Amino acid sequence: MIQPQTHLNVADNSGARELMCIRIIGASNRRYAHIGDVIVAVIKEAVPNMPLERSEVVRAVIVRTCKELKRDNGMIIRYDDNAAVVIDQEGNPKGTRIFGAIARELRELNFTKIVSLAPEVL
Amino acid sequence: MELHSCIHPLPCTPSTGILVSGGRTEAKFAANPRKLHSLTLNSVPFSSKDYNLGRSSSTDFSRMAIGSDVSEDTDDMFDDLLKKHGKVVYRRNDQKPATEEIDDDAESLSFAVAVAKVASDVKAGDIKVLFVKPLVYWTRFFIIATAFSRPQIDAIGTRIRDMAEVQYGRVASGDFKPNSWTLLDFGDVVVHIFLPQQREYYNLEEFYGNAAPIELPFENQQLRGSKGY
Repeated sequence: MIQPQTHLNVADNSGARELMCIRIIGASNRRYAHIGDVIVAVIKEAVPNMPLERSEVVRAVIVRTCKELKRDNGMIIRYDDNAAVVIDQEGNPKGTRIFGAIARELRELNFTKIVSLAPEVL
Repeated sequence: MELHSCIHPLPCTPSTGILVSGGRTEAKFAANPRKLHSLTLNSVPFSSKDYNLGRSSSTDFSRMAIGSDVSEDTDDMFDDLLKKHGKVVYRRNDQKPATEEIDDDAESLSFAVAVAKVASDVKAGDIKVLFVKPLVYWTRFFIIATAFSRPQIDAIGTRIRDMAEVQYGRVASGDFKPNSWTLLDFGDVVVHIFLPQQREYYNLEEFYGNAAPIELPFENQQLRGSKGY
């Protein structure tokens, strides 16, 4: 359940470390974003000497949420943190590698690029 | 807790320090527990920092010695259990038989090679087919190709989609517009078409370096052609 003002970790090597959600892309008045949703976020903390800088506005895909994700077969997945992957306008990830486990729902939502860069898919 | 700490090698380092000064290795220590036990009893903790560990070292050593015996016993116990029950993990019933898996793999392989052939017809460069099934569960084959312009990416993508639909009846998800990294997802075969810059940037081949590359039938001709070119 990501809403504006939620802080998220960054699960890639793009250079951002922490994001803050400022808008959820999709419907006009959407309250919460879940795994696989695209958000507009601002970089709150960045790694020095990397292309992305603090206070830059970027798009990101949510890949992990503390709020549990339910599957039709009864499986429930809940992560320890809220994390997102920075993407560009075309949907390509800005980083070259993804860290940590991600859910397979991303593939169904056409983020197969992120899935193919991830070390583990749940 | 204490038993755990003495099994673990790290907390025992101050005591192994004593052992080394006595000219012994850890392996010997396990083999000859009584002598070492006396050694440690005589030993004095060397610093205030090590004091806590040193204080419990005598008990730790005796336990460690017992622990080594226990591990032998447990090995025997496990051997007996393995003899009784066997080493095989039982298969789940809902899995496909091996032959069917191989058939599926062969079908995917033929499709992957056909896709690579189409890409090569449209002059895509450096086509690689990787068998990634042992590495990731969600697909079987990766096809990585380089295109040198966006119109070419569009051409490769369209041709592959058409061929897949007409000959194999498969529909791809993924990118519909030409993109610097265009991805076509056919389920068990995933096609990545990169511009040269992006291919170098994302370096997928290195990430999937452990995947087995599949030799393509037309590769030799292509090489010959590129040499001539």
